[in-house]
Amino acid sequence: MIETIKLSKTYKGKKAVDEINIYLDEGESVGLLGPNGAGKSTTISMISSLLKPTSGDVKLDGKSTIKNPAEIRKVLGVVPQEIALYEELSAYENLKFFGEIYKVKKNVLEQRIQDVLDMVGLKERQKELVKTFSGGMKRRVNIAAALLHNPKILVLDEPTVGIDPQSRNHILETVRKLNEENGTTVLYTSHYMEEVEQLCKRVYIMDHGKVVASGSKAELLSILSSEDTIRVNLSETSDELIKKIKSLEYIRLVDETSEGIRIICKKGANILGDLVRAAESERIQLTNYQMETPSLEDVFLHLTGRTLRD
Amino acid sequence: MFPVFKSQWRKDKRKPLMVILFLVGSIALTLIFTSSNMVPQTTVAIFSSETNSSEIMDKWEPLLNRNESFNFVIADEETARTDVAEGRRDIAINLKEHDYRFITAYDIPTLPLIDQYVQKVFVEEAQIEAAAGSQGIDQIRNDVESYLENPPFQIQTESLNGGEVSNYDMGIQLLFGFTLFMAMFTIGFKVNGVLSDKVSGVWNRMILSPVSKTGMYTGHLLYSFVIGFVQIAVVLVIFQYVMNYDLGNNFFILLVIAAIYALSIVSMAMLITGFVKTPEQFYMIYPSVVPIIPVISGVYMPPGTISNAVLLFIADLFPLTHAMEAMINVAFYHEGWNEIALPLVLMLLIGVICMGVGINLVERRKG
Repeated sequence: MIETIKLSKTYKGKKAVDEINIYLDEGESVGLLGPNGAGKSTTISMISSLLKPTSGDVKLDGKSTIKNPAEIRKVLGVVPQEIALYEELSAYENLKFFGEIYKVKKNVLEQRIQDVLDMVGLKERQKELVKTFSGGMKRRVNIAAALLHNPKILVLDEPTVGIDPQSRNHILETVRKLNEENGTTVLYTSHYMEEVEQLCKRVYIMDHGKVVASGSKAELLSILSSEDTIRVNLSETSDELIKKIKSLEYIRLVDETSEGIRIICKKGANILGDLVRAAESERIQLTNYQMETPSLEDVFLHLTGRTLRD
Repeated sequence: MFPVFKSQWRKDKRKPLMVILFLVGSIALTLIFTSSNMVPQTTVAIFSSETNSSEIMDKWEPLLNRNESFNFVIADEETARTDVAEGRRDIAINLKEHDYRFITAYDIPTLPLIDQYVQKVFVEEAQIEAAAGSQGIDQIRNDVESYLENPPFQIQTESLNGGEVSNYDMGIQLLFGFTLFMAMFTIGFKVNGVLSDKVSGVWNRMILSPVSKTGMYTGHLLYSFVIGFVQIAVVLVIFQYVMNYDLGNNFFILLVIAAIYALSIVSMAMLITGFVKTPEQFYMIYPSVVPIIPVISGVYMPPGTISNAVLLFIADLFPLTHAMEAMINVAFYHEGWNEIALPLVLMLLIGVICMGVGINLVERRKG
């Protein structure tokens, strides 16, 4: 349905997006995962025709959208990262405005507004001014505004940033329903791994403007099939200890956590003995040791050497 | 275009305070400055330290008070001197038989005017006394006055087109000035909506919708124009028909001038929008620049006060100068379309250039 071909964007000599190739099939739910500054928003802006790429192409059903963006705009609903609403107006008035600019017919618009408000759970509060809403409620109206013209493709740019868990669950549930029940194609960007794991069938992992891995969750996790992830809780951490562990030949990566360290090492390596010795030499107490089932977070760490929230 | 226009209207309907404030501000400023523009009568204390002081006062007090520009009041010497010394009065005059002395604490600006007037009264009286000879002074004075009522040479003043010379009313000039000045704020802050939409992301949403770029700009700018024009029109209507100010006999032309002015200010605000990145920057820069414009354009001063060629050239770059010229010509000199065509064309020209450059700058800034 949509594909990008060697899509690049350069700002003042710096490549924000570097020759990425991604595709979305009809009805699919795809995640774009990466830390802040990875190039996700720039990619989305180019896909949605808001930003012209420096090179490469975006195709909708095989036709380039760069020269003729009108086609993709018709079928696209974009939920921007910012709250793109008039805060001085009520939720209803905002939706009416966006419905009008999308030329939704008058006799349909009223019902459509009520439908999307119902979908995001704000029907009862539609007459209240947006500026009086909580962050989560604003984000829900932000999503509703992108749904008024019944788009075939929904692009969401970090729609759950900085909101309460209740609103977050509501948004995730709304997106899931749109995808599974309405057949809407979803491109969901986030730096929250669990959201992407929950919603998306396929995931693209981006870092420094490049797609560093892609595939289904299982395919991505298989990257770690030759490795173990071990979480170790310590009484304290020290640079010297981390240095010692890193010097072990079977260690791939050591990452500091709030309670100790997380280690990615060669599968089956007998790490416990070396770990205890290193901790004892540094007079640090080892309080817990746990083998973890690898997550996409671990995949990301493995691929980029940093965590998603770095 | 219409959804954009309507959304701006809905916002103002909910929060009309700013528009109302600027509208009331135009009226209030005009009333305040028009009333203070009427020079109050200067009161001057007069006394005499001569032995025949009451005789001197009886003679000069009525002669000095024959002109209404100044009010000469008799005071005793001590009070008059104390009042001047303690700043309660600017000036007092110690009258003598054929001479006078000013008592003042500092060099007040009106002193030369008062001196000129008092000197004139004393010289005239000396001439009449000299001419009186054996006749009575009153007889000579009456003869001179009746002679002046029907002099052998008469001067008739006509305006350029043969009619009566219009009275130049500084109050009306200030009314136009403040009205147009306040409208600049209203219009500018509305045009700033383009920047607000850009920063909030609403602009991008509109780009993705079937509304064209032209429609987006037109919606915003048309709304700014309408609000600005309505504000000017309401103020002019109030002063013409409610407060009975004489704004000439062609109110319709005044409204057309106001419309073209509003249009050119929309463009000027758009140009400034092109130079800034955020609405906050606009709120900082625009109100800093706008108050300078009426000063350079000579809005607060009688015509001809500014003669510096550079200032006059700068003033010509702003629509306010041309709008004021056109409105004053219509209101005071009853000029028609032909006479005011040039300022109207200049305003339109400024409008076209500013709009073109402004939109271009805004579009280039999209990153």
